[in-house]
Amino acid sequence: MVKVGEYEVQEGLYYHSEHFWAKVEGDSVRFGATDYGQKALREVVFIELPKVGDEVSQNEAYGTVESVKAVIDLIAPVSGKIKEINEKLTDTPDLINNNPYGDGWLILVTPSKLDDELKNLMTFEAALTWYQELAKGG
Amino acid sequence: MPRKIVIIGANAAGSGVASAARKTDREAEITIIEREKYPAYSRCGLPFVLAGEISEFEKLIIFPLAWYKMMKLNLLTETTVQSIDVKEKSIMIKSADGKESTLPYDTLVLATGARSFIPPVKGYDKDGVLALRTIQDGIKFKEKMKSAKAAVIVGAGFIGLETAHALFENKINPIIVEMLPWICPTVFDQDTANIVQKKIEEHGIKVIVGKGVEEILGDTSVTGVKVAGETIPADMVLMATGVRSNTELAVQMGVELGITKAIKVNSRMATNISDVYSCGDCVESQNMLTGLIGMCQLGTTAVRQAKVAGTNAAGGYSVFPGVLGSSVSTFFGVEIGATGLTEFQATRLGLKPISGVVTSKTRADYFPGAKDIRVKIVAEPEFGRIIGCQIVAGEEVTQRVNMISAGIQKQMTIFELAKADTCYAPPVNETWEPIALAAEMAVAKLRR
Repeated sequence: MVKVGEYEVQEGLYYHSEHFWAKVEGDSVRFGATDYGQKALREVVFIELPKVGDEVSQNEAYGTVESVKAVIDLIAPVSGKIKEINEKLTDTPDLINNNPYGDGWLILVTPSKLDDELKNLMTFEAALTWYQELAKGG
Repeated sequence: MPRKIVIIGANAAGSGVASAARKTDREAEITIIEREKYPAYSRCGLPFVLAGEISEFEKLIIFPLAWYKMMKLNLLTETTVQSIDVKEKSIMIKSADGKESTLPYDTLVLATGARSFIPPVKGYDKDGVLALRTIQDGIKFKEKMKSAKAAVIVGAGFIGLETAHALFENKINPIIVEMLPWICPTVFDQDTANIVQKKIEEHGIKVIVGKGVEEILGDTSVTGVKVAGETIPADMVLMATGVRSNTELAVQMGVELGITKAIKVNSRMATNISDVYSCGDCVESQNMLTGLIGMCQLGTTAVRQAKVAGTNAAGGYSVFPGVLGSSVSTFFGVEIGATGLTEFQATRLGLKPISGVVTSKTRADYFPGAKDIRVKIVAEPEFGRIIGCQIVAGEEVTQRVNMISAGIQKQMTIFELAKADTCYAPPVNETWEPIALAAEMAVAKLRR
């Protein structure tokens, strides 16, 4: 884990500009929100996820996450079919705040165009640079 | 076609509307027009920046610009509304660079707030006569404090007293002048006010009540204030004499004003013009207790009304139940709070209020750090219903006021409150909760 300003950035992940990460796990990809994303939202109170079997498309919204004062779309970093959703989030949505890179994961998908689409995401190194820019901008 | 929602004003009410509207309609195009440079900042925090408790004015900003981006809100700062065409449902705006453009809307929310009211006494426009409502006011006030030798605060409401404390922290002992017979007259009876006044005077601050400012003296800059024939030297004067709703746009477009001359809204925060809503300091409110229409220009009211207005403007359904005026403040080492009616206000309405007063401690008497607390509960004698409370203490006032406010909302009686299941541990309360005891005192009065 590397800290850029007050935001933690995790190694081994791909990063989407809407503040979501994607982790390749064998033939699956796990999605989650970044530390920057959860800090911007503040305490998450509600999450709306689709069902297992639903399709997600890169850069498109597949659900929403709501905090006391904000609401944002969950954006898919890559396309695929949903294999698993994080059931724990229904009762404990603030897992997204407390453990965004671990227990607070969102969904697990079987990717459909992984090799092509990974090119559109930031690698960990590229993300570090990008977060440094964001930290400066405020 | 996404719904177009336009919000005029981006402070407590306006940004609250935007948040609720976005939560209700994810696709809507939401534009917020704000004439100030800074959107959504806490005005209530200004005196505390002046007192040095908050390090800078920027800390008062509630939503950083990144929030507006994240919520896909189109925020236009330093932009003013030139005119509104109700028939065409479009607005003419002027941005900071002077460029004019039209903005169409499907629903419109007026969150135009209020402005400081400066009583038009002779000399009110002299240099050094200040208001405290915006960050710009705060910056000006802070600058003036650096060179000021003598200050006068006109108006002993919460803002006046919080600012008096800020001046005191900056080694300037202001003189406080209140026109009405006692301080904090809208929330306290005279007995409570006298206790608070004593606490202020213990800090070496002079408080004058029952006398108004006749004239502000000086050449181009203020040199003194004339109060009941007497001249008080001053090189800075704060006019903390209330606010007036900003209703110019409303009037221009034909939105109906109410008996208070503020914008009239129903319980869905809707005005008389369809698809036009309003909330915050610019609207009048209905009192939950009396049903009467009045002004309740508090931050808490603004955000609560904003949530309702924003939901409705975005096609949802939400109602506002009215206000009780719960408020709290802290200055000169004391916390004060109130809700509902004072005995004075209740009497004017034709009620025959009774009250129960108890003075106690905020922790077990033997526990270090225990502070004084005085609770006054006001009730209506025929039904025994609680209609108000006034609390002064060294600490722990806020949640007590909240508790009684919730009780009043449920029409709780003093009989029930006297037997409420309250909690205690020596470091944080007395065994007998002062609120329950005060209710018991009121019950005793009834049973005499």
